[in-house]
Amino acid sequence: MAVYKRRYNSYGGSLTPQWSRFFVLTRYAFADLFKSRFFVLLLILSIIPCLFFAGYIFIANNKTIQLLMQVRSADLLSVETKYFIVIMMVQTQAAFLLNCWVGPVLISGDLTNGALPLFLSRPFSRADYVLGKLAVLGLLLSAVTWIPCLLLFSLQSGLARNGWIWSHLWMVVPIIFCSAIWILMLSLISLAVSAWVKLRIVATGVIFISFFIPAGLGEMFNAIMGTYWGQLLNFSYMFRLILAKGFREESGLLGSVDWIGVPVWAAWGVLIAVCVLSLFILNVRLRARETVRG
Amino acid sequence: MTNPTIELDGLEVQLGGRTILHGLTGVLKSRAIGLLGPNGAGKSTLINTLLGFHSPSKGSARVLGLNSHNDGKALRALVGYMPENDAFISKMSGVRFVRYMAEISGLPAEQAMERAHEAFVYVGLGEARYRPVGTYSLGMKQLAKLAQAIAHGPQLLILDEPTNGMDPPARKRLIELIREIREASDICLLLSSHLLRDVEETCDEVLILRNGKIASICNLVEERRANRKFLELETIGAEPSFTTSLESLGCECAVFANGRIKVVMPDSVEIREVFKVAADRGVQIRRMNHRRDSLEDIFLNAMEQTGAADGRI
Repeated sequence: MAVYKRRYNSYGGSLTPQWSRFFVLTRYAFADLFKSRFFVLLLILSIIPCLFFAGYIFIANNKTIQLLMQVRSADLLSVETKYFIVIMMVQTQAAFLLNCWVGPVLISGDLTNGALPLFLSRPFSRADYVLGKLAVLGLLLSAVTWIPCLLLFSLQSGLARNGWIWSHLWMVVPIIFCSAIWILMLSLISLAVSAWVKLRIVATGVIFISFFIPAGLGEMFNAIMGTYWGQLLNFSYMFRLILAKGFREESGLLGSVDWIGVPVWAAWGVLIAVCVLSLFILNVRLRARETVRG
Repeated sequence: MTNPTIELDGLEVQLGGRTILHGLTGVLKSRAIGLLGPNGAGKSTLINTLLGFHSPSKGSARVLGLNSHNDGKALRALVGYMPENDAFISKMSGVRFVRYMAEISGLPAEQAMERAHEAFVYVGLGEARYRPVGTYSLGMKQLAKLAQAIAHGPQLLILDEPTNGMDPPARKRLIELIREIREASDICLLLSSHLLRDVEETCDEVLILRNGKIASICNLVEERRANRKFLELETIGAEPSFTTSLESLGCECAVFANGRIKVVMPDSVEIREVFKVAADRGVQIRRMNHRRDSLEDIFLNAMEQTGAADGRI
């Protein structure tokens, strides 16, 4: 089908492996995202706190600078478990904001103009489609959560010396594991809401309030019923519980984790239930053809 | 032995608790198949079932020898699909959109880019290929959909109402393109349309659906061949000896008033022999028509026959 010949020819060349085709979606999505200045700004803003955290680690480990700044070591928060929990909490919130913007951009464009049947009429399943979009969010949110966190961990390990790394190596597991569950939950919620709502701006708003309205309702439930189970609707709080448990922070985290209240297994249950519900919505909404019942 | 293009074996499809396709059975062997039927006949449901979007509740459908339900991925690797409704990514440029779709079909990036440009030029959108698809006119969007359907070089091209919303020149151009594609390669074609003319101009075989049932399967090539053997003559000076002479050649004749004669010729007789007999007998043939049992006649017959069964069209 050469341009100059202007006649149709079938294709007889090589094909890419079936398993790798979901990555086409990821590649195109990244190319589109990086065309947006707002996205680039948001990404930079999400990473900027890490520079401050890195600077703090540098100061905390450098006596000369402490002397120059007239700061005593005792006045500084030691770079230990709590410090990394703070980093994780800040970065996971940055990931949340990034996810609110990016998730709808990925899905809405395909759904508003009915492009989904074009994807699914090829040797490409709905699972491939979701995987391709999840990979975008997974890579992006990793870049602002566990990857910078591990880099900061490496920086502290390099500067602290005296075997700090060996006594704190266990922290690598909660850094990665807690980030992974948060990224998975955020990504699935944002894809499910975008698939449901379709309109990008509305989807962004719905994702945003889907974290705050249930939390508010939960607080109301607690106040009325005199219980603490309403906290189950506060997804951020559930994540903090898991994070504190993962980092072996038994004394509570910055006064905000109440160990007498919701058990950790319930927090896990909530996050898993949210993921399952999101998958269910995706399964219902991501179809080549909608069936009208009746 | 090559597989039939489409085989339906008691295919029944239920959607939302309603049976849409009722036990369709039939074999379609031609390379270009038309799918006809009034609104709600089940054309799009049949296409979606062939693509594996809907699961049969009973029976099965095979396309190019592959089961539409069990071999979905393998089947879709052979198919190019142009849906009826809007289907595009509005902010992408036309050529990038087609390249994207070709890559999802499995073409490596470089080949996908090359084929996307070729497909765009081929469908006549070469000048507009760098514009976002969302800015295209309705006709251009239809052509862009055709480009994405052919870019990866499918073996079966499924076109659902391809000329919807197009003005007559654009429609003509699209029909020409479809015929070119069909003739330039060994690609098979399944075209669903409300417009009988679209199907008549592009297809060899037609499946007519009505209320989710097969109203008729008609081989248009054989029908056209049969039509060539049926003549309607308007004559002056035709004596009974003229019809006798034609009958002696093996023709069947029916004589009507005002010199009108209907003739059914056997395969062995050519039209020029009729002229020769007329010349020998001094008969003037003032008008000669092949009987044209058009697709419209076939369609209406099918509708009437099945309509008689349940009392409505």
